[in-house]
Amino acid sequence: MSALSQIQSRTSSPGPQASPAAGSDGRAGRGGGPGGGPARAWRLPRPDFWSGAGLPGLVFVVAAFVVPMAVVVVKSLTDPSPQNYAAIFTSSVYQRSVVDTLEMALVVTALCLLIGYPYAYAMARSGTALRTFLMVALMLAFWTSLLVRTYAWQIVLNDTGIVNTALRDWLGLISAPIHMIRTPFAVYVGMVHVLLPYAVLALFAQLRSIDPDVERAARVMGARPWRVFARITLPLSLPGAVAGGVLVFVLALGFYITPQLLGGARQVYVGQAIMQQIEQFLKPGVGAAMAVLLFVAVLAVLAVAARFVGLGRILGVGMGRRR
Amino acid sequence: MRAGLGVRLFACLVALLFVAPTLVVAATSVTSGSMVTFPPKGFSLRWFEEVLTDPEWLTALGNSVQVGLLAAVLAMTAGTSLAFAAARSRFLPPALVTGLAVLPMTVPLVVAGIGFYLVYIRVGLSGNALSLGIAHAVLGLPFVFVNVLAALTGVDRRVEEAARVSGATEAVTLLRITLPLVAPAALVGGVLAFVSSWDEVVVALFLNTPRFRTLPVVMWSQVRSGVEPSISAVATLITLVSLLMAALVLVGPAVVKKVRRRT
Repeated sequence: MSALSQIQSRTSSPGPQASPAAGSDGRAGRGGGPGGGPARAWRLPRPDFWSGAGLPGLVFVVAAFVVPMAVVVVKSLTDPSPQNYAAIFTSSVYQRSVVDTLEMALVVTALCLLIGYPYAYAMARSGTALRTFLMVALMLAFWTSLLVRTYAWQIVLNDTGIVNTALRDWLGLISAPIHMIRTPFAVYVGMVHVLLPYAVLALFAQLRSIDPDVERAARVMGARPWRVFARITLPLSLPGAVAGGVLVFVLALGFYITPQLLGGARQVYVGQAIMQQIEQFLKPGVGAAMAVLLFVAVLAVLAVAARFVGLGRILGVGMGRRR
Repeated sequence: MRAGLGVRLFACLVALLFVAPTLVVAATSVTSGSMVTFPPKGFSLRWFEEVLTDPEWLTALGNSVQVGLLAAVLAMTAGTSLAFAAARSRFLPPALVTGLAVLPMTVPLVVAGIGFYLVYIRVGLSGNALSLGIAHAVLGLPFVFVNVLAALTGVDRRVEEAARVSGATEAVTLLRITLPLVAPAALVGGVLAFVSSWDEVVVALFLNTPRFRTLPVVMWSQVRSGVEPSISAVATLITLVSLLMAALVLVGPAVVKKVRRRT
């Protein structure tokens, strides 16, 4: 039996994970048991009962997810040809779209971290009442549908919307409405509103995990509050900032609904460009190629970030809610 | 170290901005006027009445509920199954199983949408609750998987071993011992899968047909031509359901635990 688990740990790379399960294997593995002689030791691990239990899930995820993703890749290479990729890299329209998207995602990420940090800090370093208030407000926004919130900003930022009405009719500050809708500004407002909770939750989790004694020690040693923050709190909270920032950035890259509703015709972000290829230009091959590149970019960013803060921390933020 | 006054005030301001848009939508839905104005003119529930008697919205509501329930059930089944394999299988590499189960979380919705669209067109599966339900189940699966996996690591293996020693087969042990122990976690994941399906637009747009549209899809098509009190009413209804589900998931388990401890 132990030989079998040795082979197991040799054949499957995550050795440490395999060993805790070994204790029960005497019962779970059908081929094992005390009677398993040395001859069995050379067998590769065989499908066991729990693999069978996992079979329906595996079949489902492969058929309903892996196959569609593979079809996207095939489509991008064959409809009509791999030229689809060349088109993306050479066309100035697509290049513009990529640059605009990267710029938008970076600005949104920066804004989310800048606004999210004080928010998370206030949540982590205040009394129960304020913390509860901030958490409830955060959760209300977090769990409101993205479409509903984008629609809300449409109401607020319209030429006849609340902001313009307030400025013109109530305060008399302007005579003609300020055009905010269908501009990058409206996109930034909408997207920061949608993605800010992820940044706050990541930062909050990190700030909460900092041992208060470390800060206290610095204070006792005579450091002024801002110095404690700059030299102790801020560096210790950086992993949270990385996790939240990466998640916001990656989510922002593929956004469609918010830019489509709040943005202008001048900026076509990648998510919109993909949709256009399919819906308007009827070039699913090009759309598929852009989709492949987008997914690869997302996975690449996640893979790099995972080396620093761990994938679990990034994807665990705001667990249960995706955009 | 307590947050300074400035920081706390800033946070409160942001908190108000967090909830303000949702409140604005709710306010504009109870107007008695026929236009979206803020503050609303008078109070009436006429737009809710109009929406809830309109066949187009009602059909979409029915579709959304069907798709959401199907997605939740499929996600719970597949997610739990994968969690079993990841935690207990000695044959399948856990990294592979976990990777497959979590991958749908990382895929941008436009990318997922294209994939489902291309496949469903080819196999002739489109314009019904089944196709969108399967697609949404994929997106909701990671929530179930992560929840059940966490619950499985907390299961006392000796309980399962006791069942085996007492003569239960592996299958019986799974069904009578392990599954009930992780069922609450699977249910939480299922509710999360329902909510993520309930207000999902992008994939639903790819898979919608004129005859099969969910609530967010109908809302989307109307929103693009302007703001209306009836859209605000639908938006408010969608939000209420989402928040109710979220409360169920966030507060529910704690309440259950408390009640259990008392009895």
